Amino acid sequence: MIYKVISKSEFRKFIDALVRQNTSFGPRQVDRNTADEPIYQFMPVSSVDDIEFDYTLTTSSAKHFFLPFRDQLSRFSFQNSDFEQHVAYEADPVVLIGLRPCDISALNILDDVLLNGRYPSPYYLAKRKNTFVIGMDHLPLPDCFCKSLAHHTVSTGFNLFCSDIGEKYYLSINSSKAFTYLEEFQTEEPSCEDNCLMTRRRKLISESFRTEVDVTSLPSILDIEFESPVWDKWGAKCLNCGTCAMVCPTCYCYSVDEHFDIDLKGASRNRQLYSCNLVDFAVVAGGHNFRPKNGDRLKYRYYHQHRGFAENANQQICVGCNRCGRACLTGINPKAVINDLRMEKESCMTCVSPSPDRT
Amino acid sequence: MHDLRFTIPRQDLNREAFASSVPDFNLKSDLMKTDMGYKCRITNIVSLTEQEKLFRLRIVDPEERRIFRFKPGQFIMLELPGFGDVPISISSASSNHEFIELCIRKAGHVTSALFRIDTGMHVAIRGPFGSSFPMDEMAGHHALLIAGGLGIAPLRAPLFWINEHRDRFRDVHLLYGAKEPSQLLFSYQFDEWKTISHIRLHTIVEHADAEWKGSTGMITELFRDITIDAKNTYAIVCGPPVMFKFVCSCLDRLGIPMNRMFVSLERRMHCGMGKCCRCMVGSTFTCIDGPVFDYWSVMNLKEAI
Amino acid sequence: MNQQGMHFEKLKIASFDFTCCEGCQLQLANNESSLPAFFELLDVHAFREISSEKHDDYDIALVEGSISRSDEIDRLLAIRKQAKILVAFGTCACFGGVNSLKNRIPIEESVVEVYGELQVETLPVRKISDIVQVDISIPGCPVAKEEVERIVVSLVTGSKVNLPKYPVCVECKQQINTCLFDLGEICLGSITRAGCSAVCTSGKTPCLGCRGPAEDINFPAFMEMVRERGLSESDLREKLDFHNAFETYRNDET
Repeated sequence: MIYKVISKSEFRKFIDALVRQNTSFGPRQVDRNTADEPIYQFMPVSSVDDIEFDYTLTTSSAKHFFLPFRDQLSRFSFQNSDFEQHVAYEADPVVLIGLRPCDISALNILDDVLLNGRYPSPYYLAKRKNTFVIGMDHLPLPDCFCKSLAHHTVSTGFNLFCSDIGEKYYLSINSSKAFTYLEEFQTEEPSCEDNCLMTRRRKLISESFRTEVDVTSLPSILDIEFESPVWDKWGAKCLNCGTCAMVCPTCYCYSVDEHFDIDLKGASRNRQLYSCNLVDFAVVAGGHNFRPKNGDRLKYRYYHQHRGFAENANQQICVGCNRCGRACLTGINPKAVINDLRMEKESCMTCVSPSPDRT
Repeated sequence: MHDLRFTIPRQDLNREAFASSVPDFNLKSDLMKTDMGYKCRITNIVSLTEQEKLFRLRIVDPEERRIFRFKPGQFIMLELPGFGDVPISISSASSNHEFIELCIRKAGHVTSALFRIDTGMHVAIRGPFGSSFPMDEMAGHHALLIAGGLGIAPLRAPLFWINEHRDRFRDVHLLYGAKEPSQLLFSYQFDEWKTISHIRLHTIVEHADAEWKGSTGMITELFRDITIDAKNTYAIVCGPPVMFKFVCSCLDRLGIPMNRMFVSLERRMHCGMGKCCRCMVGSTFTCIDGPVFDYWSVMNLKEAI
Repeated sequence: MNQQGMHFEKLKIASFDFTCCEGCQLQLANNESSLPAFFELLDVHAFREISSEKHDDYDIALVEGSISRSDEIDRLLAIRKQAKILVAFGTCACFGGVNSLKNRIPIEESVVEVYGELQVETLPVRKISDIVQVDISIPGCPVAKEEVERIVVSLVTGSKVNLPKYPVCVECKQQINTCLFDLGEICLGSITRAGCSAVCTSGKTPCLGCRGPAEDINFPAFMEMVRERGLSESDLREKLDFHNAFETYRNDET
């Protein structure tokens, strides 16, 4: 890693040059909500003026740039009783600007899951290799809890990371590409004062968290509380709409479907990002549903997010961005659900208050 | 204004480039086809019952035929282009490098389409995927194989293996139950198993017909007919989920250790590679960690049976 | 047609309209790029938007519209007798659709409102499945051409005919749309069956549920959620009743 500082005006010139020359996405205001707060999303940008560097959060994550919501896995073309299969791992270069540390941590987790397993995904790797990631830090929102999961800072997984130290950006340069592009612009070695400002910035961010979620020994609690009434309680609120998984930066479960072209001369095999909350996620041939209840499916998402699965060494995959909590129409959010689980466990252990009846 | 200095070059991905970033990918790709299937010609189709057919597939490319190897208990994803793919356990001998056999029940839309095709057609297979039965570990012991209904299909590969290495096993029992006599699959092989493989075959049906002379009842009743040296026995159980519970508790009572009881779980895999999470049981992938689990693992899995 | 070693037969298809705007049938003539290939799959026996030919030996009947007159019932029964597969085509056929608004006021009043003194024979609006057995439902106001194409291909090839089981929210979030509840609107997207590519909500128009309820929806939680947000109860009812698609849930409620 190489560290530099750059004045904000020079930084804009750099971003502008990059954005004008490449397919680029950055935070843009798309709406204002009923409380008159701006709503941001990662949207196409064609000049530096399109980018809201001081945005708060994007409602949806940047996941779909790497794992498209719908993606073609292979093509078949038919000739009589024979066929040809075509598989292509292609991706066009993309510049992504303004990812938060938690978003980049999410990419690192996806790397773990999709590239380090027994069957690395070339589709994902093509996209990951062709995406130039520029990260930016920010002051946490009142409901961010990434610090609880140690994802409020990030040291890898990006090409360039920018910290706002007032008049300048403090740059962490993590790729030769980023270094080469920056050579065309005026940057300086960080002075002692810059380093102090950077340390102060980090401290400020770290101290600004208002939400804490106690995730210690969650995997074991989730195992023990598998039959907990907490799941029925929150399951009763769940609409099975899949919104949480769609906006989540790490939910990667998918379904595969295949269909003939309309002229019947070919067929395609496609992947669609799915959600374990959707009603037919665990249906097998013959129609049996292994998770027929709302609570079963909701539990399952928490199980995956906070217990973790074998493919990434049983690590939690939640990064604490709380996008799911904000997007949920009925107010299901990790903080409340996890606290409930803990309360349930603790009240059991100390017998301060009786647990709800188990049925 | 085209300032090409800031254009990010496109990085194309081929297998070699991929291998450099993921160290052991190249090695794996030699062994397994994950996206591109092995193209196979269907060389033979046998109707076993109205609901089940046995398909014989031969990999078209000789080089691919050379690298396709599997272990008893593993499954492949069978792709019928245009219709989709389904996980199917391999029913033929792992030592057979000329063709593979798949016993398929008409259940969903892909398998229904498979029932409409003829020999000479082409399909693709991806894999092999998943865990296998520990045949080498089982050798030197008694083997107790228990199949219910279509559960005989994944048991056929270990049966072939035992037959080929019969001198390495002590007593081999096969308990096989079905709803009706007509639903007992591979009955044409029963004599071969008994006489050539020296396998003690015990069959039972739930509903007998006029010609049925064997036992009637649930498969667990067959345990009354056999004596088992529990300390030296490995058991394999394949069948519908309801069967596991009863059979495994029977085996438990007989004193067979849980880590010597193996079951093959069924879930609807979509990718076979531990990515899509459709076949998760608790925190475990049926497609990677399974489908073969020992009973101790199954006990530890949430929502397994 | 031979493909993949299989022989595929063209669908002998006929299309019929009842009380409706014929907009769903018109959809079939849309999507020009795939139109020739689409009609290659069909052997059209009766379809007035498309062809002047008329034969009565069809296998598949597309039925658009709801039933609001006694002569329509007779016609529908005759179609059911002939068709091997009867498809309820569009929201009016599947749920009653916008026409069902009429059922909210006494029949006599509705006649006077529309026709004045003129005597007109009319019945309360019913969906197709109230009269005859329906084999396949393709909801939508209008139907989505891509979905119809996919279903037709599935029927020809004998592959799975299915609609998404999940709600519109999935497709809406995939379009990176702003949730209309955040903009203070009531949207039925979270309880309505997907398959429309969230076309309304992408244009910032709240979902009116034209595709009917998604599978196994949590209706009480949805109602509770709208109330907790303090949104207009009458707006909610208006939307739920708009296409008459949530009839069963509304009846359970009271």
